[in-house]
Amino acid sequence: MNKNVIKFFDKIQNIDRRYIYLVVAFSIIIPLLIPFNSPTYVTKPTEDIYKKIDSFAGDENKAILMSFTHDASTMPELFPMEVSVLRHCFERNIKVFTICWLPAAAPLVDYAINTAKEDFDVQSGVDYCNFGYKPWAIQLPIMLGMGDDIAKAVETDSQGRKVENLEIMKNIKNYDDMNLVIDFAASSSSITWITYARARFGANIAAGVTAVMVADNYPYLQTGQLMGMLRGLKGAAEYEKLVDVFAAYESEDYPNGRPFSNEIIKETRVPITGDTVPYKYKKARIGMNAQSVAHIMMIFFILLGNIGYFITKKKEI
Amino acid sequence: MFETISNFVAAFLTLSIFSFLYKDNPFYKFAEALLVGISMGYAIPLVYENVFMPYVYTPIFLNHKFIIIIPALLGSLYMLRFSKNLGWLSRYPIVFGMSIVGMSIPLSIHSSVLVQMRSAMLPIDGINSALIFIGTVTILLYFFFSKAHKGIYGKVTNVGIWFMMIGFGASFGYTVMARVSLLIGRIQFLLGDWLGLIK
Repeated sequence: MNKNVIKFFDKIQNIDRRYIYLVVAFSIIIPLLIPFNSPTYVTKPTEDIYKKIDSFAGDENKAILMSFTHDASTMPELFPMEVSVLRHCFERNIKVFTICWLPAAAPLVDYAINTAKEDFDVQSGVDYCNFGYKPWAIQLPIMLGMGDDIAKAVETDSQGRKVENLEIMKNIKNYDDMNLVIDFAASSSSITWITYARARFGANIAAGVTAVMVADNYPYLQTGQLMGMLRGLKGAAEYEKLVDVFAAYESEDYPNGRPFSNEIIKETRVPITGDTVPYKYKKARIGMNAQSVAHIMMIFFILLGNIGYFITKKKEI
Repeated sequence: MFETISNFVAAFLTLSIFSFLYKDNPFYKFAEALLVGISMGYAIPLVYENVFMPYVYTPIFLNHKFIIIIPALLGSLYMLRFSKNLGWLSRYPIVFGMSIVGMSIPLSIHSSVLVQMRSAMLPIDGINSALIFIGTVTILLYFFFSKAHKGIYGKVTNVGIWFMMIGFGASFGYTVMARVSLLIGRIQFLLGDWLGLIK
């Protein structure tokens, strides 16, 4: 083999890892600074959640619950999902409740609600309600209690108001009405919802999880115990697109969004360059551009490293 | 003004943490210690306000529900872990907490065992269900150690190893994706919220 090739791979095998960090950093920075329109394909687990939430549109007898089980460390993946789901609910007039079990999640719930509600005329206690931070130690009594009476189980919202007196609680009693729980987590906490709220009360459970936790949750998705799953930044990007294409769509025929259609989602490409979509509603899709470039770089490094390994091994023999 | 200052502080701390990639340094140590301190400092008053006040103080002192004194005392036994002589008393609230495990057993068996088994026993009507069937059987056989993994049996268990390796690979791939996503989030903050280069 050519001596120069062997020398090149020898050098690469011993390269300072900080150069690789630098290349990965640039492979992320450049796509973020110069965004481009790449297609976002929507997968079934994301589509199922969207369709379920959308089926509650304009229905005063139905609501969803968003459970925040993470802190700021996993915000880049989970926050765009949360904002997208809230935006979907506000666009389509769907009652939405939020709850969190970690002290560090409490400000994130407010941040997500405030980010989404800026563009809508929605009111706390009427269109949405934040149950606030509830300690982990009483998660089980609340989770089980909501199967009978949500107002009794939760008692007060984040502003200290009695939940039973809030207008949003009209026609909302238990899991029969609050028929979808989405757990946003960096852990397997959705399994707790499956074990207690689904197995005992038949509530529909969905999960929005960090990519690390996807493999742990797949068995529950395959068995149908999770009716859908938003998987990492990709799941967030998919949901952003669905909301743009359907819930935020406006025309004479559909003044408040249009119903889901497989044909439309296949054909439609939403441009993420330009100002048509606000940055906060396309953050995950822009992030996915950088993700794709970073992945290509990593695959390249893995291939290069392996070729180098086998060449140097052959030389040693 | 407040947002500008808070973004500047957050950017400084982010860069301090990233500086560890070059080498360990005082900026990194400072940011790390600050995170631990602030997390605790933030959690203590929040827990006091959201747990102690509504679930202990208000029921006992304002609503006169004196029965709450019993779980409150039981919970406070945790504090005795710091005592050499009375540390054994801290096991009682742990024992009480463990009783919840008993309650969860039937429901956990349903969701994590029975439903999983049922879905693994469905008719093989496509490539996916065939792969699930082969994977489940060969992996279960791999973990059967009463028979030596030799001959045909060894070849079958090898298929199980391949399934597991592919599973670990997929899991690791997702982990890499998650870590890159976190880096993207921080860079989006630095370039967008702090420097205003992304809009």
